[in-house]
This record gives sequence, C-alpha cells and structure tokens, in this order.
Amino acid sequence: MTVLVSATEELAVDIPAAPRPARRGWWLSIGLYAAITLTLIAPLFVTFLWSMVDPKTGWFAPDVLPRSLSLIHWQRAFEDRGLMTSLFTSLFISAVVMILSAALALPTAYALAKIPFKAKRAIEMFILAPLIVPGLIVGVGIGFVFFRIGLAYTVPGVILAQTIGTLPFMIRVLAATLESIPADLVNAARTLGASPLRIGWHILVPLAWPGFIAGGLLSFVGSFEEFEKTFIVGAPQVETLTVKLWTVLGGKVMIFPNAAVVTFIVLAPTILIFFLAERAMKNDGALAAGMGKL
Amino acid sequence: MLLMLLAPGAGYLLLFFGLPLALAFLSSLGIGTIGADSAFTFRHYVELFTSSVYRDGIAFSVYISLAPTIVSLAIAIPLAVALQASFPGKRLFAVLYKIPLVVPAIVAAFVVMILFDRGGMLSRMLLPFGLQLPKLVRDDFAIGVIIAMAWKAVPFMALIIAGALATVPGDLKAAARTLGAGRLATFLRVELPLALPGITAAALLVFVSSTGAFAVPSLLGPIYPRPLSIWMYEEAMHENNWGLASAMGIVLSAVACVILVAYYRLTTSVHRSAGGEAR
Repeated sequence: MTVLVSATEELAVDIPAAPRPARRGWWLSIGLYAAITLTLIAPLFVTFLWSMVDPKTGWFAPDVLPRSLSLIHWQRAFEDRGLMTSLFTSLFISAVVMILSAALALPTAYALAKIPFKAKRAIEMFILAPLIVPGLIVGVGIGFVFFRIGLAYTVPGVILAQTIGTLPFMIRVLAATLESIPADLVNAARTLGASPLRIGWHILVPLAWPGFIAGGLLSFVGSFEEFEKTFIVGAPQVETLTVKLWTVLGGKVMIFPNAAVVTFIVLAPTILIFFLAERAMKNDGALAAGMGKL
Repeated sequence: MLLMLLAPGAGYLLLFFGLPLALAFLSSLGIGTIGADSAFTFRHYVELFTSSVYRDGIAFSVYISLAPTIVSLAIAIPLAVALQASFPGKRLFAVLYKIPLVVPAIVAAFVVMILFDRGGMLSRMLLPFGLQLPKLVRDDFAIGVIIAMAWKAVPFMALIIAGALATVPGDLKAAARTLGAGRLATFLRVELPLALPGITAAALLVFVSSTGAFAVPSLLGPIYPRPLSIWMYEEAMHENNWGLASAMGIVLSAVACVILVAYYRLTTSVHRSAGGEAR
C-alpha cells in the first residue's frame, strides 16, 4: 500500500520536473549548507578563534582576525583544578541522572504503553508537564523544598532536580518503544512463573534496548547542558560546566577567551553524544516521541 | 499492580514536581511561607498585578516569548519543507541542523555576544564599508535575546513541523496536483492546513520555553524592563521574598498549564487522525 502511494506521488510530482531533477537537489543542498555554515559553523569558528587569542597581543576592535594565536588558554584550562572538577562533576551527575531516569521510567512506561486504565490521559498529561513548565520555575519550586530538608547545594540534590526534567522524556521514549512489543511475550513469561523484576530485566530491557540507548543518551545530553535547576539547587557549591560558564560570563570582568574554552569543553561531549544518539535512532522517532506523539 | 508500575515514574514526579508546585501555590497565598507569618492573603497577587515594575515585566515576558516564536516559525516552516525533498548530503544535514537543540542557552548567548555586540565580529566586518551596527545586545528591543532564542528554537520547530508534513498522505498531494493545483497551491491549501496542528504545537512549546527563559535574557536583555522569570529569581534568591516569587511562579505555571492542555490535545488528535487516515 505504502509502495503504491509513494509511486503515484512520484509520478504526479516528479514528471514535470523530470528534465533536471538532479540540479534542483544540488541547489537546495548548496543553499542549506550555506545557511548552516553561516549560522552554526562560522559562529563556532569565531568562538574557537577567541579561545586561541594570544594574551600578549589580544584581539581588539578593528581586527577581523587575531594578530597571533596561542594555546595558553587551553593549557591553563586543563591545569585549572576548579574547571576540571566541574567537568568531572558534570559527567558524574549526567551519568547518574541517565541511569536513574531509565530505571524509574521503565515500569511507568510499560504501564502507559501496555495497560489500559481509566486515568491514563490525566497521567500522560501530568508526565508531559515537567517538559513544558520552564526549568526556572521547577528549580525555584524544588529549591524551596530542598533548602528546608538540607538537599540544597549537594550533588544528590542536583541529581534529583535534573531527573525531574529527563524522566518525562525517558518515559515517553520508552513508552513509544514498548508499544511495539507483543504483550504475549510478557504474558507467557508471567504464566511460566517469572517475577515482575525478571520480566523487566530479561524481556523488556533487551527488547526496548534501542529506546534505552536513544532515551538514555538524550537524557545524558539533557542533564549535561541543563542550567536553571542546577544553578538554583546547586550553585555555588555544586558547579557543573554550565554553571561555571555562567560565572565566567556573568562576572564583573568578562574574559572572552576563558568563556570560549569552557564553551568548547561543554560542547565537545554534548555534540559527540548527540551524534551517537542520532546514529542509534534510525529516524526522528525517539526525539519526536519525547516531545509529542507526532 | 498498576499502581506499583506507575509509582516509580509518576510517583517521582508527584513528589519532586507536583508537591513543590503545590507548596508554591500555598506560599503565594501566604500559607507556609518562610520568614513571614502564615495567614491567607491575596497580597502577593495584588502586588504583582498593580506594581508598574512587574506589569512592565509581564509585558516584556510576552514580548520576548512572541517575537522568537514568530521569527523561528518564519525560518522553520521553509526549512521543514526543504527537509521533505531529497538532496545530496541530506543525511549529514539532517544531523547538523539539529545541533542547536543540544547547545546550552548560555553558549548561544555567549556566541551572540561575540558576533553581535559592539566591537563584535559583525561590526568589525562592516567597519571597512563604513557601516555601523545598531545596538543589538542589551538593547531596548531585546534583539540579541530574540536572535539567541530563535536560533535555539528553529531546529526544534523544524523537526516537529517536518514530522507533521511527513504524515500528510502522499495521495492527497497527488490528487491536488492532478486536479490542477500548482506546487505552491498544493502546499498552502493541502499540506499546510493538514500540518497545522503540528505547527501550532511547535509554536506553543517555543512560546512557553521562551516565557520561562532565564539565562539568555539576563545575559543579553536590557537592564529594564526585565522579564517576570528574572524577577521571580531575584525575589526568591536575593530578596528572600518567597511569597511574591511563588505568586510569579504560579502565574508562569498557569500559562504553562494552559499551553500543556492545548499541546496535549493537539498532539493526541494529530496522532489519532493520522492513524485513521493510514487505515
């Protein structure tokens, strides 16, 4: 059926353009790549130049390029204990957030995907809410509670706060993956006497593995680049990289080269893991499922 | 059994998301606030809506939510249409264009400073031509804020709109073309209306995320007016005025809730109608 549909579509749409379909594709490609170069690659290149500015000559107003380049800012960054601590804090927090979100999400995602029940719409909507209510509001709300119970300014507090943001995404991605798993498998295992924990570990986890990979990697990225909740619950004691970047940018003296170096230390793992997640997802399914059933 | 399954995920969110919002609601009404007597009052809401500072803040919040939404829609719709076609290098582009999705907002703000601020890259490049950029960072129209937020929103919108456009059945387009509609007419009168729920959903999400934005307007926005989100942060963390901060949080959450319901309706109805047509 689908084959037929796409065949008719090609017949109807592509025949008028048949004389030069290839050239049209090239023009589109050139246009889109030019746009992405202008809006993404060039700005990142200028930022990179800022990270390489030689402090002896500086990079002042009329110069379009720095007079001389140096690795001194990069060298200092890797010798900077505080910055390296931030990097490891960020990596640790993101890893824990990823695992915690996955573990908490699986049972709930299974219930949403496979079990029909009355209040499902309300629960689905409630689970969507933390994706829509802005992080600053969630952060101030949870900060208000954490100040009272002593979880503010601690790494566990930051992990719990960030999980509010990644868990809904994980639940939605896993639910979308689990929907395609036959219910018979679970029922058979249950009839044969498997406990819910065993069913989860031996059947659902392996079958929903693509969802775990995509959702997990995106949760990691979401946690790694999170700022508002971390800033309110954790700063200044818990300094993740984004909080560090904020202090570099928001201070009285703004030092562009330092901010540029921190920018790349934040971006390198983020973009790398995002590429891995993109490879793990065959299409935009997981990303779209996380944001809405479109 | 069902409750046990729902408990880890939904229970977690109830405890760490629902409960704090409920406490904030009580505290906005003067109940259980730190450092103040506990007594029911509408004082904080009255202050929020009568003070000219906060009213300017609300208006500014609406402005910096609407403007990026409109700008990114204008870019994302053509981009989503382009993504429906096949072209050389499409696979790489399909990954590259999504990068701003995962770039932290602070990084986006920093890059806007480097490029658009006075003495930034753009003004340096225009200098030999005798041209001067207007003030774009910390300016009264919050142009820098709009650029940074739209930059982050475009791939997100394009992703959702491209998804919505892809669900428009091919035979409908073919039928329109056979009946004599041109490419543009087919797009405007068949594809666009069918993809409209997806477009609206994307616009709603971008609007609400801009409403609560904090880092970008604090780094790139004007000194005055400031959006409600920044006032909320100031009242909570610096003034220790949790009652007023909670009232602001509740107003912002109420906006988010309205959008949440609209978004949920749009996305689930799209899901159903798409499913219905496939059958």
